[in-house]
Amino acid sequence: MIQKEKPGFIIALLSILVLLHGCAINRATATVDQTTDLSSLKLFYVKKYSEDTRDTNVLIKDRLVEMGFHVSETETDVDAIVTYVDKWFWDITFYLLELTITLRDPKTDFPLATGNSFHTSLTRKSPEGMVAEVLTNIFLNNQKQGVDNAK
Amino acid sequence: MLNNPIRLALVCATIVWLTGCASPANKQALVADDTSYGVKHPYSVSISTSGGGETSATGYTNITNEDLASAIEESITKAGLFSSVIKGSDADYKLGVSLISMSKPMFGFSFKIDMEMAWSLVHAKTGDAVMRESIKSSYTATAGEAFAAVTRIRIAVEGATQNNIRQGLQKIAALPLD
Repeated sequence: MIQKEKPGFIIALLSILVLLHGCAINRATATVDQTTDLSSLKLFYVKKYSEDTRDTNVLIKDRLVEMGFHVSETETDVDAIVTYVDKWFWDITFYLLELTITLRDPKTDFPLATGNSFHTSLTRKSPEGMVAEVLTNIFLNNQKQGVDNAK
Repeated sequence: MLNNPIRLALVCATIVWLTGCASPANKQALVADDTSYGVKHPYSVSISTSGGGETSATGYTNITNEDLASAIEESITKAGLFSSVIKGSDADYKLGVSLISMSKPMFGFSFKIDMEMAWSLVHAKTGDAVMRESIKSSYTATAGEAFAAVTRIRIAVEGATQNNIRQGLQKIAALPLD
């Protein structure tokens, strides 16, 4: 049956399959290390991701300030360095598919806390919304640890 | 070239072969049981893990928190690194391991997975952190290891995890615990 169809039809069919493939996946998680006291973190430095061409670092800075934290322009004497990885995807327009934000010890680079949000096209959020979701999950809705064999 | 539907189907099949789909990590393949650390800390330890997740059919190979905890526990037990692994709140030390990041290559004949985990060890009674380490590991699965891309991705995730566990336990073995 397919052999009678034009290649354009097959390409269109495959495109639809790809579009429908996992089109509404949402995931938002955050974890804080057992040795981290988030209440002691007040001053941050947001380190720009080397592959970020959309200034996601500015959105993170702005959101941290909105949440009442201080953001430094240098790494000197900060309580934590904020690193992130943003993954963009195209579906009619570009959107932020996945954002991972990690708070790190400025002296040792140890990951103090991390948060991740993943929204596929049909449930896409604005970049500002993704940043807000990740930071809120880290600071307000975090789970201290995932699985604890002590239970 | 793509005017022929059969050729087009072959191209699509090649793309699918190169990209693959999700397959969960095999718990037993995460265990680092090939290393002797030369140390037996005379204390008990409990393990908690985070940052992992389920592997969905349309997602990417992932490690569950349960499998990660189980693999670390088995690695510790087989190496005799601690006197016991406690499934309760009475352990002398609390080990926390969190999966921070894992690269997700989508195309290629070889798949290299880079991974970072945060390892922390806390003295249960005093609450003092005796270890806080960011441990990075990687593993490259080549076409020689598996024909299907989905299998190569899984092998790479398992290998990077096993390397990470091995490094983490080596760090713990070097600690002067008391």
